[in-house]
Amino acid sequence: MTEQDPSANARPPAKKPAGSVVEYKAALRKQIRRNAHDPEVNFLNITAMLDIMTIILVFLLKTLGELSAAIPQSDDLRLPNSLIQTQPHQEGITVTISKSQILVGENKVLSLPGRESTAQTGVGAQYKRGGPSDLNIVPLANALQAARKTDMAIRRAKGLDPSSSEAIIIADRNTPYRLLIEVLFTLGQNGFGRYHLMVIQSKKRG
Amino acid sequence: MALSAAQRSKIRRLSQPRELSPDEEGGELNIVPFLDIVVNILIFVLATVAVTFTASIETTPPAAGGSGVRAEMQSDALNLTVFVVNEGFSLKASGGNIAPGCQQPGPGISIPTVNGDYDYDALTQCATRLKASSDAYQDETQFSIVANPGTDYQVIINVIDAMRRTPQGDPLFENVNFKVIR
Repeated sequence: MTEQDPSANARPPAKKPAGSVVEYKAALRKQIRRNAHDPEVNFLNITAMLDIMTIILVFLLKTLGELSAAIPQSDDLRLPNSLIQTQPHQEGITVTISKSQILVGENKVLSLPGRESTAQTGVGAQYKRGGPSDLNIVPLANALQAARKTDMAIRRAKGLDPSSSEAIIIADRNTPYRLLIEVLFTLGQNGFGRYHLMVIQSKKRG
Repeated sequence: MALSAAQRSKIRRLSQPRELSPDEEGGELNIVPFLDIVVNILIFVLATVAVTFTASIETTPPAAGGSGVRAEMQSDALNLTVFVVNEGFSLKASGGNIAPGCQQPGPGISIPTVNGDYDYDALTQCATRLKASSDAYQDETQFSIVANPGTDYQVIINVIDAMRRTPQGDPLFENVNFKVIR
């Protein structure tokens, strides 16, 4: 009797019958639907908001530049407060009177002595032809004559009356009356017939 | 017929959501730092603009010794001049100096200082009373300022403000001329 291999009689484990293709695909679709979810929102979409803010920023910067409101406020130059609510005038030669100097446009014309001295004799006798009581400031007059020539050409080109120019006066709030009058008088002697005194708009008196 | 284990395993594998590759998921720039900067600049600009609104007061060259630019005055004009002195405001009109109290002509400081400060409200009231004193003054809009040499520019601006309008907003003397006594 031949010995038989016991493993030869052993049946292979019963294989579970596979589902049909239709069932398989249906189950796959169902599972895909079940696992599907909305994409995660990792960040806000702020591009539209950024657009608006950038436009506002550009608008404000442009307005600020056009307003000549960018007058530097410092201890040397602090504009007076006023209750007036008009718009600042833009046309004209800018004359700045700070505590320490006088400028025409961006150019320094002369340095000022202390307030005690300017309150009595203005810029001082050394800058005047007729002595301390004279109101005409010679270095300022020289600078204004050059500025007046340029301004006349500009006014002609714009079709404005060139016979008289306009000046924008930017003066410190502690400027003594004597010094202010000397500057205004010198402007008047050099063809400037209209002045715009720059002030800070305020709800109460300074 | 039920699905086999292999089929179920394959279904689990295939039904997992597909992971995005790094190239696919970084689709937008991170602009949050830029936004921070823009917001800061915006706040700064808004804060700065709010405190620097400027205006301008119109005037003409000062009159000294009869010179200067002034509008023609009628003979019956008020021709008001405000003298700013250390003791207060002295007002002078075509009828002469205004006495203290601003009721009639006479000598003295028309509006004395109060505790060392200029009384701008009283100046406005006095200008209002003077303008209302005659119909001939109703169209008059200019006045002149003369001040002590050491008077601050801020005081001059305050006088101009006080003379410009009543507290109710009615116009008084809106045009200012500067005078100087040599």
